[in-house]
Amino acid sequence: MANAKQEKKDVKEGKNQGEAKHMDFRDQIAKNKTKSIVLLIIVFIVFIALGYVIAIAFQLDTFALFILSTIISVFYIWITYAFSDKIALLSVGAKEADPSQYRTLYNSVENMSIASGLPMPKVYIMRGDQINAFATGKNPQHSVICVTEGAIAKLNKQELEGVIGHEMSHVANYDIRFVTIVAVVVGAISIFSQMFLRSLWFGGGRSSDNDRSGGNVIFLVLALVLAILAPIIVKLVQLAISRKREYAADAGSVEFTRYPPGLINALKKIKQENEEPMKVPDAVAPMFFSDTTKQRFAEMFQTHPSIEKRISVLEAM
Amino acid sequence: MLGTIILIVVGVLIVIFLLMWVGYYNKFIILSNRIKNSFSQIDVQLKKRADLVPNLMESVKGYMKHEAGIMKDVSDARKALVGANSSNDMGKRVKAGDALQSALGRLFAIAENYPNLKANENFLQFQNELSAIEDKVAYSRQFYNDSILGFDNAVQTFPGNLFAGQKFKSQAGKYIQIPEAERASPKVKF
Repeated sequence: MANAKQEKKDVKEGKNQGEAKHMDFRDQIAKNKTKSIVLLIIVFIVFIALGYVIAIAFQLDTFALFILSTIISVFYIWITYAFSDKIALLSVGAKEADPSQYRTLYNSVENMSIASGLPMPKVYIMRGDQINAFATGKNPQHSVICVTEGAIAKLNKQELEGVIGHEMSHVANYDIRFVTIVAVVVGAISIFSQMFLRSLWFGGGRSSDNDRSGGNVIFLVLALVLAILAPIIVKLVQLAISRKREYAADAGSVEFTRYPPGLINALKKIKQENEEPMKVPDAVAPMFFSDTTKQRFAEMFQTHPSIEKRISVLEAM
Repeated sequence: MLGTIILIVVGVLIVIFLLMWVGYYNKFIILSNRIKNSFSQIDVQLKKRADLVPNLMESVKGYMKHEAGIMKDVSDARKALVGANSSNDMGKRVKAGDALQSALGRLFAIAENYPNLKANENFLQFQNELSAIEDKVAYSRQFYNDSILGFDNAVQTFPGNLFAGQKFKSQAGKYIQIPEAERASPKVKF
């Protein structure tokens, strides 16, 4: 809600708030770039720490496992990062939109690319009656904006522009890269934890038969706690980041369109129309414009803030 | 010992200052280039608009024989815009673009009286295309103004003002914002 306050303050400041937000938005980019690097370093350390603890717990050759976990982590991060955008587009069955068929959509994207001063993203389209959209790519020079058929059918020009502006703002802020890296981190840690928990099930007996195992019990428990808690903590952090980024992107969209009612009406339509949940993989769900399923749990477990909250923040602008 | 420490501290401070100076110099250059680039974006859209007009006139000619006045207005406005493009005066070019837009607006209003014309696929396509260009002109102006604001703020606010030499300081505030264009959709002022 810090954003809401910021917006209200901006309105009071009168003429200068446009620039205040503009600076905000450039600072955000630098912050996101740093955070991406820090996150990658953290995942690297977590991998090695987990590998180390597991090696001691199982009395394996520490050095060999250390090397192995380093190689696996570097390889995993590199592969998922290099192909993240293609994987995301493939997993939802998106296709490149035909410019002559989707004239309005192309115009909206072009408008937002002019308003933001960023290169024109590739435009993709995916099946589905739900109103939704997402952006992906590694940087603004190689970005993709993907929109559902439902969004094109149900939104008018201003509403569509609001939604595209929101996605364009994710592109401008380097959120697309940041979100990808966060997803990679979350995926890596949960894979690693799963591997450990399973190995405990099958191979754990061997070391407990061993007389020397006494000193390793502590490490075993430590590894167990780490393996269970790490994925949950990282997941909650990911969700918190995702929610915060949504408010920022809504503000960014208004900065581009200068027309809050467009985005507000789009959100209202989504609230009314998106009854059926969308079938998309969990990993890509946080990338979407609005929640792919109806909110059932507390906000802490959601990828997006509630639509009501987003509307009230926008109405305060 | 103390002397060495002081020397190191001073050395570090100088290095930090130099790095900041380089950083800010590059930032100012990038921001001022953005202004030039964003102006050429407006030009691109104005040129597209001018290029569409002859074909539009061609498709309208048969239907609007009795509206010689407006036809002449539009083609005069287009000629003025093409002429203004060769001049260096940005304000003049933008004004010529606006004049063409308003002449086209009048043409489309008159076209409402011609049901046959309104049903013409070709004409509708031009109408859509020109209104899309109108949006793009408005957005490119907005970005041009934003770029000016970004540059002026960077040069005039602290700590940028410490690093901006005479060169940038004299540039700041020199760029003139273009009045926001009318857009098909109403918009809020920032």
